Amino acid sequence: MTCREFKYTAASLTLWDLSRAQDQEILSHADICQKCGAWLQEQRMLGSAMQTLRTRTAGRQAGPSVERALLRMFRQVPFEATQSVAAHRFTPIALGLSRFFEVGAYVAVAAAIVIGLFLGVRLLEQRAKTTPVQSYSAPVTTAPTQVNTASTQDRTGKAIAATTHEHSRSSRKLAVGARSTSNSAKRLNTASASQTSDDPEYVALMFCDPLSCSSDTQVVRMELPAAGATSERDAQPQIADVVVGYDGVVRAVRIVN
Amino acid sequence: METRSGSPLEVTLLTDLTDEQLLAQALAGDEEAFTALYRRRQGPVFRFALHMSGSSHVAEEVTQDVFVFLLQRGHDFDPSRGALGAYLFGVARNYVRRALERNYSEAILHSPADDEAQSLVTEDDPADGIARHQASTALWKAVLSLPEHYREVVVLCDLQELSYAQAAEALGCAIGTIRSRLHRAHDMLGKKLQHSVAAAPGRVSRATARWAS
Repeated sequence: MTCREFKYTAASLTLWDLSRAQDQEILSHADICQKCGAWLQEQRMLGSAMQTLRTRTAGRQAGPSVERALLRMFRQVPFEATQSVAAHRFTPIALGLSRFFEVGAYVAVAAAIVIGLFLGVRLLEQRAKTTPVQSYSAPVTTAPTQVNTASTQDRTGKAIAATTHEHSRSSRKLAVGARSTSNSAKRLNTASASQTSDDPEYVALMFCDPLSCSSDTQVVRMELPAAGATSERDAQPQIADVVVGYDGVVRAVRIVN
Repeated sequence: METRSGSPLEVTLLTDLTDEQLLAQALAGDEEAFTALYRRRQGPVFRFALHMSGSSHVAEEVTQDVFVFLLQRGHDFDPSRGALGAYLFGVARNYVRRALERNYSEAILHSPADDEAQSLVTEDDPADGIARHQASTALWKAVLSLPEHYREVVVLCDLQELSYAQAAEALGCAIGTIRSRLHRAHDMLGKKLQHSVAAAPGRVSRATARWAS
């Protein structure tokens, strides 16, 4: 038997078995190996001391005063009441804590949902407020492009191109300007309607107070319906530059062709 | 001591009833059942507390607390989770822990052997009796100096002679844990005991060695 086997076998025996140590293999190994022999001796001594201690204290019990005190207490306990209530009243502390945390978790989740809803509503409100501004500002960059494209088209001689100064002059009476449409369009992107009204080519369609009309505007080139905008002699669709304010109201209009 | 239930023919001795039946009757207000249960179970509870604390004063206090607890919260006991004996050891363990936190130094300083110093010196060979006494006293002191989780398994398995399964039930852990803790505790106790025997006076030391072998 090796020391390892000795330890393994010894570990499976109780202290009482070890102190008797009937196993010949264990005993023979303990005789050979000094270390294991010392360990066995140690455990035997421990087993014997444990046996003595057990015998010494075997007869010990609580004094009669404890029993008397308990019986006195027993007679004072209202059993009918405790029986019905005890199961509910005496909950372990850990259970009580877990219930507290459970309720706390529900409260936290409910609070998170309420806060989320509140923030969501606020966000939607803000978005609703900002959306028109964004929708107006977005075309700001495209409007001049349209106009520029139109001016380019004008240079290439296409039909829609009517943004040059000469075209403007030859256009209808609404178009009374000396500057090119592209330039005025660019200016009108950031200019006010009052500025638009200063532009002789544009005809102001509404009277604005300086505060509201000084806000951002954009110029949109659009094709007017042929029937409404033209006479019988001219079936060609009319192109107009429309100055639209941040509130979607048309501030001024200029007929291009 | 006997109880009658229903017809006069149904006579059952209280000593024949199980712990659980006695508890149920006690909680229904039967004083005799409670007394029977107390007398049956107070000894192991008291000795467990005594071995754990080293103080009979603490042990009595713990015993009383355990049975008061049983009176008040006995309805919480669930027989399907284990025997009442193991349940009582579990309760006693908590009360011992509280008592030791309260007056640890008092319990340790009051040597367990001092209560009954001469009780074992009745052997034919007085030296042998003294040696036994000294060895067991040294062992008890060594047990008291063990960390609590080792002390519990030594007290339950070696001194209360509970099986590993019963100890595991009382302490609420696995049998393997009990086994490994016990093995480790024995190693520690063996070393402590060797030291104390080596430190004993020559004649007693020789007698201890002879008695142990």
